[in-house]
Amino acid sequence: MGKAKRYQYDYEQYEDGKGPKTMVEDILSDPEFGQVTDLTIGSWGDACGDSCQDILDGITDNKDRFAHVEKLFVGDMDYEECEVSWIMQGNYGRLWKALPGLKELTIKGSTDLILGDVEHENLESLTIICGGLGTSVFEELKRAKLPSLKKLVLYIGIENYGFDGTKDTVKAFLEESDFPNLVHLGIEDSEIQDDLAQVALESKYMSRIHTLDLANGTLTDKGGALLLEKLPQFPNIQVLDVHYHYMSDGMVKKLNQLPIQVDASEPNEAEEYHGEIWMNAMLTE
Amino acid sequence: MSRLMLLGNPGTKRTRYLEKGAALWGVQLCLLDWKEFPKNLLSQDSGAGPFFLKIDPPLWDSCCLEQLSGLTWEYKENLMELARQGSRGKICFFNDPKTIKALLDKRGCKRRLREMGIPVTEELEFFDWEGGKKEGPGQYPRFSDLLDAMKDQGIFQVFLKPNYGSGAAGVMALRCDPAKGQMVLYTCAAKDSETGRLVNTKRLRRFGDRQQVSDMAQLLLRQDCIAERWYPKAEHNGHSYDLRVVVQDGEVDFALARLSKGPITNLQLNNRPLKAEELGLSDSVWDRVRQICLKAAGCYPGLRSAGIDILLEKGSLRPRVIEMNGQGDLIYQDIYGENRIYQKQGKMMREWQMRRQWEDRIWKNTC
Repeated sequence: MGKAKRYQYDYEQYEDGKGPKTMVEDILSDPEFGQVTDLTIGSWGDACGDSCQDILDGITDNKDRFAHVEKLFVGDMDYEECEVSWIMQGNYGRLWKALPGLKELTIKGSTDLILGDVEHENLESLTIICGGLGTSVFEELKRAKLPSLKKLVLYIGIENYGFDGTKDTVKAFLEESDFPNLVHLGIEDSEIQDDLAQVALESKYMSRIHTLDLANGTLTDKGGALLLEKLPQFPNIQVLDVHYHYMSDGMVKKLNQLPIQVDASEPNEAEEYHGEIWMNAMLTE
Repeated sequence: MSRLMLLGNPGTKRTRYLEKGAALWGVQLCLLDWKEFPKNLLSQDSGAGPFFLKIDPPLWDSCCLEQLSGLTWEYKENLMELARQGSRGKICFFNDPKTIKALLDKRGCKRRLREMGIPVTEELEFFDWEGGKKEGPGQYPRFSDLLDAMKDQGIFQVFLKPNYGSGAAGVMALRCDPAKGQMVLYTCAAKDSETGRLVNTKRLRRFGDRQQVSDMAQLLLRQDCIAERWYPKAEHNGHSYDLRVVVQDGEVDFALARLSKGPITNLQLNNRPLKAEELGLSDSVWDRVRQICLKAAGCYPGLRSAGIDILLEKGSLRPRVIEMNGQGDLIYQDIYGENRIYQKQGKMMREWQMRRQWEDRIWKNTC
């Protein structure tokens, strides 16, 4: 049984000169690392100023010593450490080949994020948590060859934080991508969550997946009504995750009556300001 | 009978639960209402011997930060008046008013703790407030002074706090990325659209626009405020938290974690409280927290009860004192539970009363 371990630097370590250049060396010098199959990399010092590229390069350069890692999370930081939209990500292009045993990859932050040519035989789960996902990443994912991928969760985010697309970007991605074994589709954290609910419901993946995840966005009764209408057409759906939403109590009650597992927790209320209605996706405010 | 008094506010939770805690020890408190201060204090029978006095904070209902600043000034004057009355030997204070006043000054408190080798959340030097004030009113730092200092000192995230303030009133969490010129500010303060002044609200807002950030921070910088380094706080189940530890007579009587989904952890913001023992911290972390709290309380000999806010750094769980409060003993999770803090205070009052009675007896026998 492998271990889960998180590596990060705090202020004092950062001031003592620790940073992305020293992270891989520190991980490799940890006597426990040989047993670590679930590797989480938190703050690398100044995550807003320094990219994690040196860490990614360090992993690929030492690929044999990271071969036992099955789960990798790069950038596990909260608002205490860095704005998610300020986290300086890197180029993952070389990582896919370097870690053939990797099963789960979670990336937090989308600034300077490049996935490269995504090709991996064994990856089963890919999650990108960010304040705004760029169209360039959607393009890379469209071409991705991930035959084992079962779970895909993408935080869509907002324009200010990097989402430079529209609902059509997501629609085209779902149409043109090919993940033959996908069972969990997450299109989360959007301020056009109702539109994206429709896009997801019309996608080819709906007949294959068992979990539809539209959480952390501005899903309203409009999106809720659409789910009520369409979901019964897909008996394969077992789980609906819409936690953090803007739906009414009545709509939540109706969704909870569906014969599937529903998470409609964390309701939010829209705010009115100068005659305008304001709603925020979870990771954008 | 030796008299025990509370200078406080009738009907409040502080008053009711202290009365309950005292009643368990057979102690009855006489309440002096802040509304009638100082008349009610001065009218105490000087021939009846010294009396014991606990000072609770007065009630303020303003949410305007400038007004709160004025009220704090008035409160400090009242504390000095209490100290003057006490110097005549008539009053035995629970917490000494001079100490309560000293702890209202966050900058002064941090300085003292630092001198005693106690780790605190470090302050950013960016303006000589005392020197600045001497040059006359209107001498305040500009927002750009703060940004320059942050850049020079390589500190890119700070908390701006009114030096004399309590709770989350006016607190701003500011983060800058000098390389890209980005900045973000979290605060519960809002600009009143009519007066243009800062008012306190119970909602945390985030500002990402440079001009808005600058405007908000500049409003706070017009008051005496401190900028302290924003250390990433420890987290529990996806919430960051800090601790409120209540130390009384050299013992930690209560510790509460204040969990938050935002950078400002304060229970007035409807953050989630959790009994600190449920955090699952190791004994060695607790030992360090306990030692720091006892040492901090020991820096103020006139303080029998202190509420100490402790930050645990994310990752290392290294504790630092954020601030101390000479009236930080009201913890809802305690009063609605065992009421341990106020029961202890009841015991302390009973002990004082018994000591007084014993001293009186000795005095009479000697005479």
